[in-house]
Amino acid sequence: MSKHVVNPDLCTACTVCVAHCPVAEVVREYRGPKLSGPASERLRLLSPQDDASLDFCSNCKNCDISCPSGVPISTLNMKARAKMWEGKPEPQGRKMMAHGEQMGKLLARFPGAASIVNLGMGLGKSLGMMDMVGISSKAPLPSYASTTFYKQFKSFKQKSFDKKVVFYPGCTINFNQPEIGMDVVKVLQANGYEVLVDEEFVCCGSPLVVGGYLGEANENARKNTSLMNKWRAKGYPVITACTSCGLMLKQEYQELFHHEGMDKNAENIYDIMEFLSMLDDEDKLNTNFGQVNDTMLYHAPCHLRAQGMGLPALDVLSLIPGYRIENAAAGCCGMSGSYGMQANKREISLKVGEKLFNRIRQAGVKSVVSDCGTCRLQIGDGAKVQAIHPVQIVARAYAAK
Amino acid sequence: MKKSDVVVIGGGLSGLFAAAVAAQNGKKVTVLSYGAGSLTIGGGIVDIMGYADGNVPFATPIEGVKNAPEGHPYTFIGEDTVKEAVEAFKKMASAEGYAYQGSLDEMQWIPTAVGTLKPTALVPRTMDVAKMEAAKKLVVVDLAGLKDFSAPMAAKNLGLLFPNKTIETVKVPELEKSGRDMTAFDTARLLDRADIRTMFAAALKSKAGKDVCFIVPPILGTHASYVAFDDITKQVGAPLVECAAVAPSVTGIRLRELMLSILRKQGVVFIEKANVCGNIVENGKVVAVTTKDFGRQRTYRADEFVLASGGFYGAGITADQENVKEVVFDLPIVAPARVEDWTNAKMFSDAKQPFAMIGIAVNEQLQPVDAEGAVIYPNVRVVGRNLAGYDFCFEKSGNGVALTSAYKAASLIVKGGKA
Repeated sequence: MSKHVVNPDLCTACTVCVAHCPVAEVVREYRGPKLSGPASERLRLLSPQDDASLDFCSNCKNCDISCPSGVPISTLNMKARAKMWEGKPEPQGRKMMAHGEQMGKLLARFPGAASIVNLGMGLGKSLGMMDMVGISSKAPLPSYASTTFYKQFKSFKQKSFDKKVVFYPGCTINFNQPEIGMDVVKVLQANGYEVLVDEEFVCCGSPLVVGGYLGEANENARKNTSLMNKWRAKGYPVITACTSCGLMLKQEYQELFHHEGMDKNAENIYDIMEFLSMLDDEDKLNTNFGQVNDTMLYHAPCHLRAQGMGLPALDVLSLIPGYRIENAAAGCCGMSGSYGMQANKREISLKVGEKLFNRIRQAGVKSVVSDCGTCRLQIGDGAKVQAIHPVQIVARAYAAK
Repeated sequence: MKKSDVVVIGGGLSGLFAAAVAAQNGKKVTVLSYGAGSLTIGGGIVDIMGYADGNVPFATPIEGVKNAPEGHPYTFIGEDTVKEAVEAFKKMASAEGYAYQGSLDEMQWIPTAVGTLKPTALVPRTMDVAKMEAAKKLVVVDLAGLKDFSAPMAAKNLGLLFPNKTIETVKVPELEKSGRDMTAFDTARLLDRADIRTMFAAALKSKAGKDVCFIVPPILGTHASYVAFDDITKQVGAPLVECAAVAPSVTGIRLRELMLSILRKQGVVFIEKANVCGNIVENGKVVAVTTKDFGRQRTYRADEFVLASGGFYGAGITADQENVKEVVFDLPIVAPARVEDWTNAKMFSDAKQPFAMIGIAVNEQLQPVDAEGAVIYPNVRVVGRNLAGYDFCFEKSGNGVALTSAYKAASLIVKGGKA
């Protein structure tokens, strides 16, 4: 059903992707996206090939963004890597990072468990236990919130409106940064939308794909697609506030899996900032903003840039009085999901992010805005600044009125 | 996305330059780009017009413009606009600290990676061929581990071209060991680093001296600045001249960085992965173009549109066994009627390739016209490789047509009509 056929022969071997790959830029051991992706895929179609170089791909999508021929290079890499890892021993760290949702769900069941685990992760890092399982003790790891987004949402009194949207928080917002999800709700309320959630939704599957668990990711895709079908039938748009979830649900599902309705759902899923920007296009955005006297830098997540919607956060934030924001335009932050959290990738990840960190330091800002959770972790750690989601600024602007 | 004054479709040189010129003159511009554009592979020098039919070189670039064959874009861009465009580009590049040199009155014969010469017009300072011509001894830099460049071959061929010069090579040990095959671009990245530059310069120094010029692959830094080039030149104590080489194009990547930096400063909105494939027409005018990829269709409204989506390589024009098509506005394509006649079977002969000249017919305002010459959409201007009537590869005219047609389109839009 998907028209997005993964065809390596679309590649003209022009090398644009090699020039734009942030990992190839800092690691000469990586053969680069052209060779590990479409070039090797032609050989892999003939017989299985092991390519140690595949391990370097961070799935950041800069190859796909730069490709003039629409080759899903990173997805070719992810599929080949999963196949290469099949039946081989699973490193514990890889398994843990691919299954963050399980940990989140487990902790949510027991009051106080989150803080114990946060403490435990801290201890694990300082004792070098994380390194032993392949997770970097030097990387910033997401800490778990004491109350999940879904729980907070339940106790939030909403105004009822005819216009309804379904919010898909994803794991990061639900388990780690529920305050962002609550700001999404408040901002949508301020625009006359009632927010619904669906606790049946599961992890989008993005961490599973990079971890090589394509079968499990496919299961998640099946489940989420059938729920999305239901909401689409009701005519409710689905909102995401994590650009990697958005990319997975809209694009990577279509590249990797085959479930009825995926392509139609892709038309019904909106990033929160895109949604607000579209309201503004129709002059329907509530622009009753108070002053936010601040100057910040914006970092565009690669997984947003890959979606072909421009940078809607900049469009919306530029409407706020007193507020100044400039695009850092300094490339990939290097984290790319859990890539930069892996013990053997931390150094690469920081090297990739150096340009961005330097840009932030030069700008002398205290806060950086970015739509992606793991970008924010990396920016906080690499540039030692506060990193926030753009919707938090919008919420602040409404609150300032 | 709120309505723009101008939407430019395409992120190659013609699209980026049209956007820059329009924005410089106060227009609100949005660029829709799919892929990183042809600059990364196309080379960062500006050819204007090198060869006439029969492979006869023109004496100067402007001679080439004046004598462009019938139907060639230069015949309706016009000599005066070509001159203005070149000046505008040079001024813009210079203001950014990455000046181009050369003029319409002098052909620059730059060395290639195989030691031949190719005619061009505007080059970065790293390709100052006057230095090569003035030198009595050329030393070709032989960098260990670098693929796509054979110093002995380049030296041998340069020896045939310059029998009165002494030609030598100098070996430079691998700058950084391990890893994949080294491209010129990888090397240029290494030479962005001051410590590696010192190492590199030290290896060249033994051959430096009076009347010496080093010929190097395009490796003297990846950025649109002369920091790496000036540093190395100073340390070596003799001039270096970069030659034209294969993709990924280091000089092209510098030019792209230059253009993107200009656009950012001018507040141009640049949208990546925008797969433009449709349009909305009201009352005979285009009011919007639409994109579609994995998600929903997106609409980009504007008063004026610049079509800079490229030819077959850029996928602005696509073809199969039977049909050839322009993908955004479905404009009529000028092409030989029989597909069999698209190709000159003698690939390296003295004649142009008909398929290379396939494109869109326009009037003097760069508006697309039908077979009868009637304007199809008055607020669409066609630039760069979308235009019919020139074989950039044969003529050596690619970036020249791109720059000058882009300048003309943007100027017409700024002036609000006829030039």
